[in-house]
Formats: sequence, structure tokens, C-alpha cells
Amino acid sequence: MNIRKLAWKNLLRRKSRAVFTGLGIFLGIATFVAISSITSQMEGAVQDQLDRFGANIVVTPRTEQLSLGFGDIALGGTEVAHSRLTMSDKERIMSIRHRDRIRSIVPYLLTATDASGKNLVWMGLPGADMATARPWWKINGSPVRKRGEVVLGAEAAAALDKGPGGTVSAGSRQFRVAGVLAPTGEKEDGMIIAEIADVQSLSKRAGGVTYFEVAALCKDCPVEDIVAQIGQALPGARVSAIRQVVESRKAAVDQLRRLGFGVSAIVLLIGGLLVLVTVMGGVQERTGEIGVLRAVGFRRRAIFSLLFWETGWVSLHASFLGAATGIAVAFLASPSFGIGNPGIAVSPALLGVAAGLTLGLLGAVPPARRAAALSPTEAIRSL
Amino acid sequence: MEDIIHLKDVSMTYGRNGTRATALRGLSFDIRGGEYVVITGESGAGKSTLLTILGGLQVPTEGTVRINGVELAGLPADGMADFRRETIGFVFQAYNLLPYLTARENVMVPMSPERVSPREKAERADALLAAVGLSGKEDRLPSQLSGGECQRVAIARSLVHDPPVLLADEPTGNLDSATGEQILDLFSSLHGRGKTVLMVTHNRANLSRATRSIRLRDGEVEEDREFRSSRAESAAV
Ligand SMILES: Nc1ncnc2c1ncn2[C@@H]1O[C@H](COP(=O)(O)OP(=O)(O)O)[C@@H](O)[C@H]1O
Ligand SMILES: [Mg+2]
Repeated sequence: MNIRKLAWKNLLRRKSRAVFTGLGIFLGIATFVAISSITSQMEGAVQDQLDRFGANIVVTPRTEQLSLGFGDIALGGTEVAHSRLTMSDKERIMSIRHRDRIRSIVPYLLTATDASGKNLVWMGLPGADMATARPWWKINGSPVRKRGEVVLGAEAAAALDKGPGGTVSAGSRQFRVAGVLAPTGEKEDGMIIAEIADVQSLSKRAGGVTYFEVAALCKDCPVEDIVAQIGQALPGARVSAIRQVVESRKAAVDQLRRLGFGVSAIVLLIGGLLVLVTVMGGVQERTGEIGVLRAVGFRRRAIFSLLFWETGWVSLHASFLGAATGIAVAFLASPSFGIGNPGIAVSPALLGVAAGLTLGLLGAVPPARRAAALSPTEAIRSL
Repeated sequence: MEDIIHLKDVSMTYGRNGTRATALRGLSFDIRGGEYVVITGESGAGKSTLLTILGGLQVPTEGTVRINGVELAGLPADGMADFRRETIGFVFQAYNLLPYLTARENVMVPMSPERVSPREKAERADALLAAVGLSGKEDRLPSQLSGGECQRVAIARSLVHDPPVLLADEPTGNLDSATGEQILDLFSSLHGRGKTVLMVTHNRANLSRATRSIRLRDGEVEEDREFRSSRAESAAV
């Protein structure tokens, strides 16, 4: 028989009280672990979605603006050289220090030219990049898989009265319509999308590029640095971060995290209070018993540690069960939060167990103090 | 023998100004080691209050209490706990066993803060239970023991630290007379082995075993008699 065992025996004797004491901690930790593991995975998922949403940096030539403002005289040699972008600029972008953060660089060439007798804008990009650069495009038919194929924007298809399998002529060349875009509400609805090499040859600009879309991997992404580095690599180009995307991404994630922490904090606080109330009630109920312990020579510290062991046992069990339940809930609920392959968030679970123990023990402080301060005579009289 | 208990001008008043109750009024007496003192008096005379003060469970509002050479007034809370553990064995009318512990475990309770192996504690407990005649019942819960047996467990528990002084507040109050006699026999044999015994009792028959009787009335000593032998006549009251 030692204090620990005495505490344990006492718990077993009052099982329902112990369960009730632990309930708050259990619910608090389960909520905390579930919410924080869902939010942390959601952060990842949102990030993924946002990253997939496309580019967050656009590289355009500076030429037009500068020539309007100052005229070509003001431009140095290199800048003039870069006043038009070419395919080889991709390698320059890829040479920046933060290149490991770059997920994709997609060149686009826009040109207005004849298509089956109508003057339409052609958008060229590498067909292989279409799925990653514009994942939200819904194509009736198939995407551009090789040269000689085009995908028509919804309006362009209507204007030309063409569908998948049809042909569009440009000058002397014939293009097969591989697919038609569902309306996007964007400018590409009126465009003809083709392999960039075809558009380059149509516009007689071999290697020509109108702009690059650069997608950086953006967990704690130093977008400003990446922009600056690309600017240095391409002095003649205008590099702009699509701020809105970056900022709204941050805001969304932060909001989620705040919500998660707020809810968990409230539930945990309630759990701690529940411990305080139930343990306090237990002390009241056990005044006589505590008096006997004092009478047989228990020091106040021994009474203290008895109550701490009791709450410690309860909190430990409740925390572990709570963490396990939280993980399970997060795992089961993750599909409805758009998390594709849920994982087990270890750190929220560990944090949860630690928090549960701490809260349980903190909640036990006032009742333990009260118990230790009980006058033994009062206690014995109450028997 | 030396005085093991020294009481001088001890008064005890409960409550605040509004609801004051004076339980003891200037009590003074000395008890030598090895005495068997029976304390009698009507209900409310202050007997239990006296015992709790002697046991270091509460501090008198006035006066000096010295037990086994220790001046209780000056002790800090932990010192008081240590004093109780080392010097005093308490036995209560209601046994005050922990109902969820077996007889052995109840006897082990006073040892639980100690860093001694569980086995040694259990052996000590079993030896004490054997000494009070409870061999073979070590694993029973209080609910599986008779009143007399429960009181034996409580006595065994009070002996854990081999205290020189035993304080018993109506230890036979809940027992029938035959069982009460057996408990008194147990106290007599402990007295015979050198313990100083102070027992509060209503029962005049208990006087026959004592060496001294102190009768309280309204918090004062009404009568303090020593018997030449412990076999004094019960008519003394
Ligand atoms: N904790 C207490 N608070 C207030 N009054 C008390 C308390 N304990 C005892 N008393 C009062 O002190 C007097 C003596 O009580 P007590 O020592 O229990 O007497 P006895 O044990 O002889 O019956 C009684 O009047 C009782 O009401
Ligand atoms: Mg009494």
C-alpha cells in the first residue's frame, strides 16, 4: 500500500465519479485532437488545392509599358534583349536560388489570327501542361495531345460552329478539334487553345512567349523573394505575384487554425472546470476519510499527492482515450473535409495528452489544497 | 515514571463571538507513562475535545500541552502530523476504516507515505492483525467483518508506528457488551505491554481495568481518582 495504490483503489471504488471527472478531459482532448488534426490536414489540403489552382507568379515582358513611357532609348542592351520573352527564358527562371520551390513554369503565347475565316485569339501552351496549369478546365472530348490538335473555347466553338472531331483551318494548315471547353467565364471562352509550337509557327515567332505562369510551392512560401530572384534573372521582364491568391490563401488557413484552437480551448477549459468541480465534490464527500488519514499521521503533502495521483490517473487515461478518439474521429471525418488521404497527426495527439494531464492536475489544485487544509477534527466529527 | 502528558490551564472555545461554545475551561493535569486513564462525563462535557487536543488534531485556544516531551503549541502543520504518527494511536467509536480496503490494507494505510517495500508493509500489517487476533481475516473488507473485528483492525492500525500513547474515544460504544469486553481485554494487554492508555467511556464497567479515572463536567475536572491497583472497584463512580 502506497499513496499511488491508495489513489487507485479509491478511484476503482468510485468508478462513476472517476468516469465523470475524466469525461471533460476526454471530450476536451478528443475535440482538440480531432479539430487540430483536421485543420492541420486541411491546411495541407487547402494548400494543395490552392497550389493546384495554378500559378501565383506571372512573368510578362516590360517592353510595352517602358516603350510607352520612355522610349527604347532609355533601355539598356540586355533589357532590350529581354523585351520579348522566349522559350529559353524558362531555363533562366529555373536558375534562381529558390528553384526548388518552383513547381511549374508554363509558357503561353497569345496571337490573333485567322481561324476558318474568323479572326480569333489563339492561345498556345505546351499540351502536356494543360492539366496542371488549368486543372479546372472541363473538356468535352480530349485535351490537346499533339501538334495539329486544338481545343475550342465555348464561345469560339459556337462562333465557328465546330465540335470535337471537326477541323479548323488557319492559313494553309488544318487543325483537328480534339475537344471543346465548358464555359469558364474567362477570356479563354473565346479562344482557340493549341500546342504552343503551332501558335509560334502561325504567328511566325519561333520560340516566342507572351508570358510565363510560374507556380511556386507555397507552404510558408517566400513569394516576394522568388519574385525578386526571377526579376534579377530576367531584367527585362515584369514579374508580379498574384497577391490576392497568396493572401487569401494565408487568410483562409489562418482562419481555420484560429477556429480550431478557439473551439479546443473552450472545450478544454470546460474539461478543466469539470475536473475542479468533481474533485472538489469528492473532497467534500470524503472529509471523514481525509480526516482519518490526517489522524494517522499523513502530512499535508501526502494528502496532496493522494488527490494528485487520483486526478493524474483519471486525466492520463482520459487524455489517452481522448487522443485516440480524436484521431479516429479525424480519420473518419476527413473525407467530408476534403482531405484525400488522411494521416495520423502525431503532434496534436501528444500535445493533447500533455494538455489533458496538465489541465487535470491544474484542476485538482484547489480541491487538493482544500483537502490538505481540512481540520482533522471537523473531518472526524463528520463521520 | 515520567509525566508523559502534561496539561496546564488548557481551554478550548469553539466558534466566533456570536456562537461561542466553551468545551474546556482551564484544565490542568499530568499523566505518567504507563497509566490507564478512563475519562468519563456526560455528553457535551468536553471528553472528545480533550482527546483531539491530546492527539494533536487541534490546538487549544489557551494553555500548554506537552506530550512525550513535545510542546504542541509550537509545532508547524507537518510537525504536528509527525507527532501524531510517532506518538499517538487513535481508536474511534466508529472504527473509521476505509470501506474499500481490506483489513490488511487498512492497517497499511498509515505506512503508505513511507518508502518501504510493499511486502514489508504487508508483513508488518499481518503481524499486527495477528496480535489483535485476526489471523486469517487479512483479506476481508470491513463489510465482511463484525463490529468487534473492525475495531480490532482499527486498533492494529493505531499500533503501526508503535506509539507510546493510545487515545480511544468510546471504542466499545458501538459494540455489544461481550464484544466490548474483548476489546477492553485487548487494551488491557496493550497497557500491560507499557502503553499509556486514555479511554473515553460511558461504561462504568470499564473503570475496573483502569489505574485512574478523570471525570469531566462542563469542561472542568470534576473528579480525578487514582486506584491503588488496576482492579479498583467499579463503584468508584
Ligand atoms: N467543532 C465544534 N464546533 C463547535 N462546537 C463544538 C465542536 N466540537 C465540540 N463542540 C462543543 O463543545 C462541547 C464539548 O463537546 P465534546 O468534546 O464533543 O463533548 P463530549 O465528547 O464529552 O460529548 C459541546 O458543547 C459541543 O457542542
Ligand atoms: Mg464525544
